[in-house]
Amino acid sequence: MLNRTLTPQLKEIDQIDFVSPVTHVINGNALLYHMAEVPNETSRLDLYFDAGTARGERAVAGFVNGMLLSGSEQVSATEIQSQIDALGGFYESGISQETAVISIYALKEHLLEVFRIFAQALEELSFTEKEIKELLNDRRQKYKVNLEKVSFLAQREFQRRLFHDSIYGRVSDETDFAKVERENLIAFFNEHYLHGLYKVVVVGAVPENEINELIALSAQWAKGSPNKYETTLENKKESHYLEKDGALQTAIRLGRILFNKTHEDYLDFLVLNTILGDYFGSRLMSNIREDKGYTYGIGSMVAELHETGYFLIATEVGKDVKDAALEEIKKELKLLQEELVDEEELALVKNYMLGQLLKSADGPYSMTDLFLSVEPHGLDLDFYNKSIDALHEITPERIQELAKRYLNWEDFTIVAAG
Amino acid sequence: MITFDRFTLPNGLTVLFLKDITTPMAVVNTLYDVGARDESEDKTGFAHLFEHLMFGGSVNISDFDAPLQMAGGESNAFTSNDITNYYDVLPAKNIETALWLESDRMLSLAFTPKSLEVQRNVVIEEFKQRYLNQPYGDVWLQLRPLAYHKHPYKWATIGKEVRHIEEATMEDVRGFFSKHYVPSNAILCIAGNFELDEIKRLVEKWYGDIPGGKKPARILTAEPVQEEYREKTIERKVPAHAFYYAFKMPERRNEGYYMADVLSDALGRDKSSRLYVSLKKEQQLVSDINAYITGSLDDGLLMISGKLNDGISFEELDRALWNELEKLKAHPMHESELQRLMIKIKTAREFQEQGLLNRAMSLCLFELLGDAEGINLEHKIYDSIQPEHLHETAIHLFRKENCSLLKIKATNDAE
Repeated sequence: MLNRTLTPQLKEIDQIDFVSPVTHVINGNALLYHMAEVPNETSRLDLYFDAGTARGERAVAGFVNGMLLSGSEQVSATEIQSQIDALGGFYESGISQETAVISIYALKEHLLEVFRIFAQALEELSFTEKEIKELLNDRRQKYKVNLEKVSFLAQREFQRRLFHDSIYGRVSDETDFAKVERENLIAFFNEHYLHGLYKVVVVGAVPENEINELIALSAQWAKGSPNKYETTLENKKESHYLEKDGALQTAIRLGRILFNKTHEDYLDFLVLNTILGDYFGSRLMSNIREDKGYTYGIGSMVAELHETGYFLIATEVGKDVKDAALEEIKKELKLLQEELVDEEELALVKNYMLGQLLKSADGPYSMTDLFLSVEPHGLDLDFYNKSIDALHEITPERIQELAKRYLNWEDFTIVAAG
Repeated sequence: MITFDRFTLPNGLTVLFLKDITTPMAVVNTLYDVGARDESEDKTGFAHLFEHLMFGGSVNISDFDAPLQMAGGESNAFTSNDITNYYDVLPAKNIETALWLESDRMLSLAFTPKSLEVQRNVVIEEFKQRYLNQPYGDVWLQLRPLAYHKHPYKWATIGKEVRHIEEATMEDVRGFFSKHYVPSNAILCIAGNFELDEIKRLVEKWYGDIPGGKKPARILTAEPVQEEYREKTIERKVPAHAFYYAFKMPERRNEGYYMADVLSDALGRDKSSRLYVSLKKEQQLVSDINAYITGSLDDGLLMISGKLNDGISFEELDRALWNELEKLKAHPMHESELQRLMIKIKTAREFQEQGLLNRAMSLCLFELLGDAEGINLEHKIYDSIQPEHLHETAIHLFRKENCSLLKIKATNDAE
């Protein structure tokens, strides 16, 4: 008779094989990374431009990012899109404070051709009045819709206070959209795209001669000097509540400036972060969702910037339990400072994190992303071997020490909206 | 081409095995053939609430998640109007932990009053977060009863109203489990670097002694053929007018399903699609427009939705939209347009099939449709589609009397 109360024997994950992409030099400030070991027809191309929101006047960087395929008087946006679609290409653009990334997804046989269309579109881009007007209109409407979302309101207010006094804390609103001038867009585009490329990534079994052509084509945009980033950021230690009429839920964001992978406490702090709020069984989820039922979800994370990073707890809770939820979060932080994590919980989190690392290294796309997560910090994939060692060595005392150092309520920026 | 093995246990459980030697991870995917369409009209939202309860501990194991996390894995689930799907992703060497956990919750749940009480609250917060406290969030709560009058697709997975969730009792929960969560109503797919014999041995070990039960009969009220144009306007405090055109389309097993899928791509998948180009880029009537299908197993909906630019009326939009639909009905599309749509479908499929979890889920779904082998046949159906087929389908679909329109009127608009 099968005894169902007994857990099957577990096997430990002892080793993970990490594989780096091959590095090609575009110029002294721009590199191309190629992960060729893809066992199917798919491929991805990422282009990194030094064109983040912190690089220009309010709203300008975001507008330019949204207009890269908007064409010229001669070739319309629709014609460019049709050419890309006819090759089955998917185009994606994203922007953060520090960078702008364009991603192209296509079958490998079409990747170079889609890139050529993109390259030509960039060369001919002229920022027509019609396209500017249309984007302005779309952004304005989207912005108004966002203002109705408590998560957006809280996130924006949090960003403003977390990065206060720095360019990263600058958020644009509707009045900034109206101030956007064509000349500013052109100037930003020239400086930050046509002379702003600093990294290219190819995932896919693309032949060597095509990689060479990609390098030749993108070299014209390569940056002439290294990127510069904010190094010292400090959050405003305060609590702020933004009331929204008619809201059923309150969005909560709290956190502080912390550090990134280059800091000696980073790896151990990740364990603390996981225990607190980064998996389904975390302290925050167990208490605030699974015990109290205050929320559909709550989580914590460490977000990284080029030179630093920040810690964040985010949730949406019933409006009537806002204060109770904040109180419980505070309690959980305190508990980690005052009591040692027991061995069983720690063992679970270690195993969970090892399993997640194994998953993050599964397949060429994931492996490339792992690499891209260490590369900006001057690290290589050996970082993950170190992280496995760190997981094996961490102690409850060390976790408590980090909680005492980094999770003090009075060091936090706390925002609630709704 | 996706190759797999299939076997059935004496208790009726269907098992699919997908071998993938390239990954150190494994997937255990369990599809239960029950969704919101199987609920009774006075107790909606139940299939989804039940999905939450499946994580509240089973008969022999007090906590579902912790042992899986201890094994380096994680788990989640989703409920649709048609199915409830649970999946575990974990290191392959610990596969047995997932089978132990999944088989025990198929055997029986713990049914604690605390779990019911908490998950009721969690689901109510989910209801608020996703449907009530979002601009345009309640669209599907409004649109479903407009498009469906009889079929249970007339309510959303989350439920018709919060009250139904508040009123769920332990008796309801037990009844739902014993009726729907039986091996004969489930399809299990295991994916990873294993041997078939090993999988057979493990599945028999953990699932073999679960009582078979009877696969519940499904007798749904068929949706009568729509014979009249339907329209509803609701006012909301939102920044822009929004529109949702819903056209009835064929069920999943019908070839017409694929035609409708391609037609929706032609109308509004990409920035080179007909509606995007005409209504947004050329006429500047909308800020945003999309076309897509709901993908349901029974008769579904082809949707066209978007938001109006300031100062544009619903009437102007309506004229321009029907004008484009009439063009699709007037003559077959050019071969080059069809090719453009097809390569996009092919590319998207290649990316999708890369993921082990995606493949495991798709296999279960195709098995539910009749044969998991369908996963390898679908592209042939797409390849066989000709402009004339789409033309015929367009004539049949894009008729006023086959359409339901929901308009959301922005009340704080200056008009």
